[in-house]
Amino acid sequence: MKSVVSVKDFYFKYLRSGLVLKNINIEVEEGPFTVIIGPSGAGKTTLCKAITGIVPYYSGGDYAGDVKVLGETTKGKKVSDLAMKVGLMLEDYESQLVSLTAGEEVAFSLLNHGFPPEEAEERTRRALEDVGLPGRESYQLDELSGGQRQRLALASLLAVHPEIIVLDEPVSAMDPDGGESLYKLLNKIHKEHGTTFIVVEHRVEFVLPYVTNLIAVKNGEIAAQGSCEAVVADIYEDQELRPLLPELWQIKCSLEKKTGQTFALWRSAEEAAKELQAKGFGKGVRA
Amino acid sequence: MKLNAFTWIIVTLAVTAWVFILPLEAVATILVLQLVLLLYIKRSKTMLAAIGGLGVFTGMMVLLQLLFGSPLDVSLFGGLRMLVMTLAFLCMLATTRIQSIAKALVDRFHLPVEYAFMLTAALRFVPNFLEDSTITLDAQSCRGYSNRGNALKRLLSYVVVIRPLVMRAVAKSETLALSMELRGFGANTYKNMPKEKFTAVDFVVLLIVVVLSTYPFWKKLLPA
Repeated sequence: MKSVVSVKDFYFKYLRSGLVLKNINIEVEEGPFTVIIGPSGAGKTTLCKAITGIVPYYSGGDYAGDVKVLGETTKGKKVSDLAMKVGLMLEDYESQLVSLTAGEEVAFSLLNHGFPPEEAEERTRRALEDVGLPGRESYQLDELSGGQRQRLALASLLAVHPEIIVLDEPVSAMDPDGGESLYKLLNKIHKEHGTTFIVVEHRVEFVLPYVTNLIAVKNGEIAAQGSCEAVVADIYEDQELRPLLPELWQIKCSLEKKTGQTFALWRSAEEAAKELQAKGFGKGVRA
Repeated sequence: MKLNAFTWIIVTLAVTAWVFILPLEAVATILVLQLVLLLYIKRSKTMLAAIGGLGVFTGMMVLLQLLFGSPLDVSLFGGLRMLVMTLAFLCMLATTRIQSIAKALVDRFHLPVEYAFMLTAALRFVPNFLEDSTITLDAQSCRGYSNRGNALKRLLSYVVVIRPLVMRAVAKSETLALSMELRGFGANTYKNMPKEKFTAVDFVVLLIVVVLSTYPFWKKLLPA
């Protein structure tokens, strides 16, 4: 598997702050749906910014180590050029929208990077279709709902065909239905386009059916990383990180510890109920 | 019939000059034409409110001039001039997309892209700013903010609303700046936008602008 993001011995501090990231070593391979978890203030957003070159080349600050995206170091690269390969959606996606209409918003990056207007138009049309907003090119931003505006922000990332998409807490301000629907959409894009997703998420329940890899960040350091199957038990052992795991996985780890049995990594309550019933944990177990 | 953004900018600038060089009858005719145009484009409550608002403001300007001792005819003509000038901008904004105006300012008037983009960004963020101000006002009201008392007291107490509102706006502007940087904002932003073509109507309108703008010169040539 090709490594798309490689962070080696990376340290970073903002101007007038302590170390925010310490000894970060990450390898993200092509394809997986990676979720970054960690307590508030652990450095998750800064890590996302490091992957996209914003830290330290836009925001300033002191750093050591190296970040490579698709085999090339981010050092000396313009953040806008990097953004063509690795798209970033910030937590405050509303303020990320810069144009007046949906079509202009999606075409903004393309036109700035010198794409001919015809190609920009075609890519805009397709990106809007991909996020479930077909034919909304002429819609004013205030004609779109909050959820639709978030999809629009995603469409403007998709239009440049990045190989990696980084999202910082995309559902933090959404209701459960909105959150589920956004992750369904992200999974569809992940499957159809093969885009590598890196998502910072506090509420892992939403992303439970799709997440393949986990990176746990604590106090600016990587506490665990790897496939979910490999790291869930380690994360569960950490008292500070445990509450960040979805409840289903906490139950699974707790049961494994108490019974000595091994359970599959449940992706839904139905799956858990089925396995528990099959292993004789009582007929009363229901999803 | 749609005029190019460049033509509209020229017409608007020309009208602001004409109000000082053309006779009263001509300025009044422009006012009538502007009102007809605006009501033809959009006969909505918003448009009527905008025109009404400008009318009230003009009335206040006329009153102020009278208070400062200007004769009635001078005050009325002054008010008319101001109304025609502001309506010219309203006509431009009502008929032309702000993005086209920004593009024309960059392409034809060599305005730096950052300044041109401010036009779009301002329009984009006005609704957000209004929404934020409502949220902040509600939040501070819950914490005991009250706009009772005399004007000075109300003004001073409003600081508790202004301060968080400004902080929010600054935070949002930082995100906006980052977003623009990520998306390659710069010299190409307006260059690669689809170009608007000049039509025969644009040339005719520009010719009329030239003829009317040179009125003081050729007026002397006309027989008395």
